Amino acid sequence: MTTMDSSVKLAAPSTLTAIDVEGKWNIVSERLQKREDERLAEIQKKREQKSETAALQESTLFFTTEFNKEKVAIEAGLSECDRVDKANLIDRFDFLSLSLQKMQKFLAESTMFLPPYEVRLAQETISKLQTQIQEKRDELFPKKKFAFKSKKKVASSEKLFAKTLPENVFQEKVEISLTSCKYENLKDRCLEKFEDEINNRDVALARLENCTVKLYGVPSAVNMYKLKNCRVFTGPVSSSIFITECQDCVFVLPCQQLRIHTTVNSQFYIHVTSRAIIEDCSGVKFGPYNWKYPSLDEHYKISGLNRNKNSWNDIDDFNWLASDTHSPNWSLIPEGELVKSWDELIS
Amino acid sequence: MGLLTILKKMKQKEKEVRLLMLGLDNAGKTTILKKFNGEDIDTISPTLGFNIKTLEHRNFKLNIWDVGGQKSLRSYWRNYFESTDGLIWVVDSLDRLRLQDCKQELQSLLQEERLAGATLLVFANKQDISGALTSEAIKEAMDLENIQTHHWLIIGCSAVTGQNLLEGIDWIIDDIASRIFTMD
Ligand SMILES: Nc1nc2c(ncn2[C@@H]2O[C@H](COP(=O)(O)OP(=O)(O)OP(=O)(O)O)[C@@H](O)[C@H]2O)c(=O)[nH]1
Ligand SMILES: [Mg+2]
Repeated sequence: MTTMDSSVKLAAPSTLTAIDVEGKWNIVSERLQKREDERLAEIQKKREQKSETAALQESTLFFTTEFNKEKVAIEAGLSECDRVDKANLIDRFDFLSLSLQKMQKFLAESTMFLPPYEVRLAQETISKLQTQIQEKRDELFPKKKFAFKSKKKVASSEKLFAKTLPENVFQEKVEISLTSCKYENLKDRCLEKFEDEINNRDVALARLENCTVKLYGVPSAVNMYKLKNCRVFTGPVSSSIFITECQDCVFVLPCQQLRIHTTVNSQFYIHVTSRAIIEDCSGVKFGPYNWKYPSLDEHYKISGLNRNKNSWNDIDDFNWLASDTHSPNWSLIPEGELVKSWDELIS
Repeated sequence: MGLLTILKKMKQKEKEVRLLMLGLDNAGKTTILKKFNGEDIDTISPTLGFNIKTLEHRNFKLNIWDVGGQKSLRSYWRNYFESTDGLIWVVDSLDRLRLQDCKQELQSLLQEERLAGATLLVFANKQDISGALTSEAIKEAMDLENIQTHHWLIIGCSAVTGQNLLEGIDWIIDDIASRIFTMD
């Protein structure tokens, strides 16, 4: 009791100045608390990330294990077919097909968390199993009506193809002319189009050599085909850009999606709000979009592209889906080699 | 009772319809799927694998499969043929350069035994862009009139504005329903 009293008394004289001290203490302790909170938040975040990746790994493992079990079961079922009573064979094949469908469904449900590479592998597996089932079926029911029918069907379809394929392919490709808004079959030229002509239209550039093309406007879509040693600059393209069979070119363009096919040794300075992908390409390099012209801001607004979202440095190579090693087909343009301004180079 | 009849009976009860959506890459398949489902279409990336959506429409349970159309993925299309009631073939109406490829890919699908009973809907997509080929022009270029193996329809549409998406889907459901669900 007495100690308490005395302490109260002792404390009494200092209470006036204590406000000051307390104020400082509050600031310090606030800071300390904040740091502590941040530290805890960081730990929590790391922990969550860790458990998230752990959960992901776990589900992937679960998937591959279950998927493999099904695969083995189907393979076993197939190899038993030779010994199954003829009368039960149809049921057996129905069962195998159903199991395969189940695998497909399981895969579909798992794509949410599976890495693309695993999806691709699993698809390959299903493909193979399907072929195996079909082959076994054909082997065991050689004279069944439906086999005969299917053969006849293939034969007639072959005829159909034979009729349409060889002569027509090239002819019709020429027959369907390109869109009216285009540059085609030109060499050593400097070409420009403006908004009146290209806004909300699709633009085609085909078979150009050694040309510089500038599109000042907002096309809906752009299709480029067989360009050689060209430089192409575009304003914001509201949907997708499609590039095929180009070589030794520089492309400077913003769009929602970019698909690059069968193109070699070319540079891309891009703004892509969703994703750029390559297929059958090599020696393609990427940097961020950096073309400037007076009405660019306004054109961005018209296009509706999100200026703050740019995945220029994350490219999907459809021929390279392994997640642990980088595709040899594309790379980033090294910082020091990035062209800073195009004005002198192209004016 | 054969397996087929049992399957039909089961379907009759749930009225489940399986639609397979295919077409060349860049045609607009994923955009159609998301638009139809009322989702955001600005962030769609080229499809690496496939998407599946199950949705209720007019008392039907629609299972729509959207499979990536890049060249390297086309060999996987056949993984999805089984029990397909309807095939939705999406055409990029701007893509004059590949219209021939487009025709050939569709032709070989139509020869698939496992798609033999499926109804075919061709969407001539991207009609909101001036310069798009009309559905009439595409019908001619792809020689659709010569298809005698499947019920088919071509319809111009836009995945961005949503124009004609519902009309197309309703047609394919009606066609399937008249084949499958009205028996006994
Ligand atoms: N203007 C316009 N653009 C569209 C339309 N439909 C799709 N697009 C655009 O076309 C591009 C391709 O669309 P996706 O839906 O990714 O095409 P996909 O058929 O799924 O392509 P893959 O997944 O590679 O097979 C995107 O940039 C879309 O925004 C349309 O009706 N109008
Ligand atoms: Mg897609």
